[in-house]
Amino acid sequence: MSDYIRRLPVYLLLDCSGSMAGEPIEAVKQGIKTLVSELKGDPQALETAFLSIITFDSSARQLTPLTELMVFKEPALQAGGATALGGALTVLADCVKNEVRTSTAEQKGDWKPLVFIMTDGAPTDNLDDGIEAIKKVSVGNIIACGAGANANANVLKKITNNVLMMNNLTAGDMAQFFAWVSSSVKASSKSIDAKPGEAVQLPPPPQGFVIVP
Amino acid sequence: MQSGETLTAVLESGDTIQYIYDANAPRGGMKHTYFTPDKKFAVQFFNRQEDALDPRLQDRIRTIVGIYNPTIAEEDGGALGNTQKTAEYFRQRFCWPVAIVRQPEFGIVCPAYPDNFFFDAGASAVLNLKGKDKKSNWFTGKNRKYLSPAERGDFRTMLKTAIGLSRTIRRMHQAGLAHSDLSCNNVLIDPKTGSAVVIDIDSLVVPNKYPPEVVGTRGYIAPEVLATMGSDRGRILPSVLTDLHALPVLIYEYLFFRHPLIGPKIYSADSAEEDDFLALGEKATFIEDPNDTSNRPPDLDVTIGSLSKGLERLFIRAFVDGLHDPAERPTAMEWETELLKAWDRLYPCANPQCEKRWFIVRDENDPVCPFCKTRVREKIIRLGLKSEMRGRHGVYREKSDIIVYDRMPLFDWHIYSNVHNDEKASPEMRAYIAQYKGMWLLVNHGAEGMTSPSGRLVPKGSAVELKDAALFRMSGKDNGLLCEVSVNQNKS
Repeated sequence: MSDYIRRLPVYLLLDCSGSMAGEPIEAVKQGIKTLVSELKGDPQALETAFLSIITFDSSARQLTPLTELMVFKEPALQAGGATALGGALTVLADCVKNEVRTSTAEQKGDWKPLVFIMTDGAPTDNLDDGIEAIKKVSVGNIIACGAGANANANVLKKITNNVLMMNNLTAGDMAQFFAWVSSSVKASSKSIDAKPGEAVQLPPPPQGFVIVP
Repeated sequence: MQSGETLTAVLESGDTIQYIYDANAPRGGMKHTYFTPDKKFAVQFFNRQEDALDPRLQDRIRTIVGIYNPTIAEEDGGALGNTQKTAEYFRQRFCWPVAIVRQPEFGIVCPAYPDNFFFDAGASAVLNLKGKDKKSNWFTGKNRKYLSPAERGDFRTMLKTAIGLSRTIRRMHQAGLAHSDLSCNNVLIDPKTGSAVVIDIDSLVVPNKYPPEVVGTRGYIAPEVLATMGSDRGRILPSVLTDLHALPVLIYEYLFFRHPLIGPKIYSADSAEEDDFLALGEKATFIEDPNDTSNRPPDLDVTIGSLSKGLERLFIRAFVDGLHDPAERPTAMEWETELLKAWDRLYPCANPQCEKRWFIVRDENDPVCPFCKTRVREKIIRLGLKSEMRGRHGVYREKSDIIVYDRMPLFDWHIYSNVHNDEKASPEMRAYIAQYKGMWLLVNHGAEGMTSPSGRLVPKGSAVELKDAALFRMSGKDNGLLCEVSVNQNKS
């Protein structure tokens, strides 16, 4: 029988600027690996979640298009260059437009995408253009996580109300962040605890992470 | 605190228990979980401090651990009327909290799930599932194809799983308790053995206690709960009646590997969220609704019409009459009873390639496996088991009927009118069916006073031949059933 399963698109926007070189970028790679493996261990996430990776340094690009978990391959990440966060948001808006199925009278659309942004610095390009671009597409929750001393919570607040700050860029903190992303995706694939249009409630962030009010 | 550090929790009894701290402890909607060093118990704390401090929540959980506990005998402080035997029976079927943690903060201690509810290394050739718990939807959705065939079970073990689950929920409802969040995540199943265990017991609705705040799970929330969610007035909360929606959703998934409400119908073109909200809530339509085919998938093949007539009726009551009228929903006991009747009409499919391997004989005159369409070539033998009506000597009515197959075991409930197939019945086989030199025999394996159609005693180890119209007593003792044989000669 044909299935009528909706997809939950998950976009990860990852900072690959020069300051991420070394341990941080390795921790991100490991984090993606763990995330995919965790989600593949959860039947609902495995059925519904589709994952895409967008990276940004001096420019932004989609490294992995929205892909079903069973065939997802971790992309090769390299750190170097500046922090084109604005560009990344523009790329995100294009990807959402092209990849996410909309609901119509004839087709069952996808869920609103979940977007996780991870950055360790301030944007070096025009952020406002990116913010304008994402206003034009329909996304569910956007969660921005600032990592390390140079991340700027006020800038991230312009993108979304959901801003988390982690104090440093250690492998342990990064692992916690990805574990939380994984819990959030799992929770979103299961619950409809909100009325349509309202944001889905995500699990509380890991200890040591600060939610910016 | 570092992951891997051993911590000590103080229980309300004053005892202590050790658990291993894990910074990435698994987090559900309400709680996060640590394990004891031997992994035999889970120590769970609430995500939100308000929950942990809420005296109403604490009070509710204390009654769940104590006087409502079906996994502890009454004499040990458990539920009323619970014997050691039934307590042990339900310990295998519920993951019921056993103690309350007082320090470092309010929490609960639950036994770990039995081993067979965790995948082992060979469970899948393409996924690393070792140690993952067997949530129901591994086996009922499209993920099924990733599991090795040995994990998947067959129609018979899925039916057995459904029986076990309905019995477990019936026990809970008998005590007035409602689970409130029955779902594929909170029922772990092992199709290999046909068993189910109900977990996340702490969100039970307890009579006269402040109700839990349950979020519920997509696809299992009762339509009326979803439809009234978010409205302050007229909000319908989880109860026994809403469990009676989730239970048949799970049973339907076990038997058909699809969801009863998710079909092609588009309820809203605005958004997926709005569409779902209507599809599983206010406008929910059964994909097999006989009067409204708007949500019917075009390629439905095996349907509730392929099950026993009794199960078909129950599904209609659950998903048509009772979908938006909770009072019409069948009770867990009705599910248990009809599933057991269907169990006695199971028949092995002759096609060695048939993935389901077993099916329910709906019509003795037309016995066909609905899954692979293989027709039964053997004659179908039906045993009508009758009991004498109370106060009316010589007047009998049928207690149950069975369709026999080679090596079918029979139990006390097939022998005596006052024994039912439930947690109190003995699991000892009392008789069995054997095909021998072209004859079909019912072999006595411990039924006392079984007699042949001519009235001669059939001792243990001897047999009665099952010929058409033969009539004999399964037991000469009080409440012994009368067995009437009918043999259906298949024309094909």
